[in-house]
Amino acid sequence: MVDSLELALTNLLTPAILFFLLGFGAGWFKSDLTVPEGAAKTLALVLMLSIGFKGGVEAARAGLSPEFLKAAGVGLTLSFGIPVIAFGVLKMISRLDRTTAAATAAHYGSVSIVTFVAGTEFLRVGGVPFGGYMVAVVALMETPAILSALILAGGGAAGRQGLRRELFREVALNGSVVLLIGAFLVGLLSGDAGMAKMEVFVGPVFQGVLVLFLLDMGLVAARRLSAARSLTLPLVAFAILMPLASSALSLGLSLALGLSPGNAAVLAILAASASYIAVPAAMRIALPDADPGVYLTLSLAVTFPFNLVFGIPLYTAAAAALIG
Amino acid sequence: MQLSHRKKLEIIVEAPVLRRVEAFLAEAGVRGWTVLPSLAGAGDSGEWRSGDFTPGQEKRLIFALVTAEVADRVLARLADFFADYPGVVAVSDVEVMRGEKF
Repeated sequence: MVDSLELALTNLLTPAILFFLLGFGAGWFKSDLTVPEGAAKTLALVLMLSIGFKGGVEAARAGLSPEFLKAAGVGLTLSFGIPVIAFGVLKMISRLDRTTAAATAAHYGSVSIVTFVAGTEFLRVGGVPFGGYMVAVVALMETPAILSALILAGGGAAGRQGLRRELFREVALNGSVVLLIGAFLVGLLSGDAGMAKMEVFVGPVFQGVLVLFLLDMGLVAARRLSAARSLTLPLVAFAILMPLASSALSLGLSLALGLSPGNAAVLAILAASASYIAVPAAMRIALPDADPGVYLTLSLAVTFPFNLVFGIPLYTAAAAALIG
Repeated sequence: MQLSHRKKLEIIVEAPVLRRVEAFLAEAGVRGWTVLPSLAGAGDSGEWRSGDFTPGQEKRLIFALVTAEVADRVLARLADFFADYPGVVAVSDVEVMRGEKF
């Protein structure tokens, strides 16, 4: 218990979290501090490239393991299943219309890649080993939640308008996922020899990029929160309690399948995270009537900061206590 | 200077459906158009700002000059589309140089 408290405190005092909080404060008090849009996009590219590449190299070292198939199975189950639970809870606690509730549920079933990046950094610093192939699991978990949400919403506009191809492109060929999986494959193929060439870029430089990116995320999250019009207390409670429930569910599945504590922690972090890039764009195509003021604000301005600051150490500690 | 009467179409749509709307224009016989980016805005679904992780809500402005007949075909097709999707369509009468191009 003391260990987990220490771990949580260590997380709070890392440059990544402190810069996120700096950005959040600056955004909340309407400072003119900004990360230029082009720079923010470049930082995101470096993050995806580094995390994908590192995962690929590690996966090449480990070889194909049955643990990967189990983790992928848990990930897919969660991505399909969490929206059903989230939808039921939202209908019970709020007066959201069916479409907005389904769209919000999709965000919680899908994943946030930045939360994954921050979470795996936390595990690396804490010396908790996990499989490099978890990068591939992230990509698998992006889409199923969207399908579940479409069923829950009863179809959607994309089917009526013949926009299925656009929907597919927006989700499956989403730039972040393409680069993440592409870099994973490059890492897998080039292995340790490739790592020797990329070391400085994906190693020491990575921390600085992550910190700058999180500063920007803090600014954006605070702006989003201060402009929020449709937030109610039950919705905010949902955005904090749903990640806890999802991570608990994920830990239960990992325990049942005998996954390692590190992989279980990564899956719990993924289950708890909510998408704010791929799914919102897909929802504008599939369910344009759903209110982004609800789903984007909950996912980006409440769940993301909660997971980053409190959730990641909590899920890691729970995985260690339950499985370790 | 010889000027001709044409219709100016200004269509604002969300970025993810841009390709679809461009396909409608091509099908309706529009010979050329220009797409412009957007910075920020507000509407039914709240405020949004380019770069604030609102990829689905960012808008694109499509600018096109067409004959009255082509404008009618475009509007007929867009009426169905905008039954489901948000957006803005404005048509105005303009005089253009080199009218044979539109």
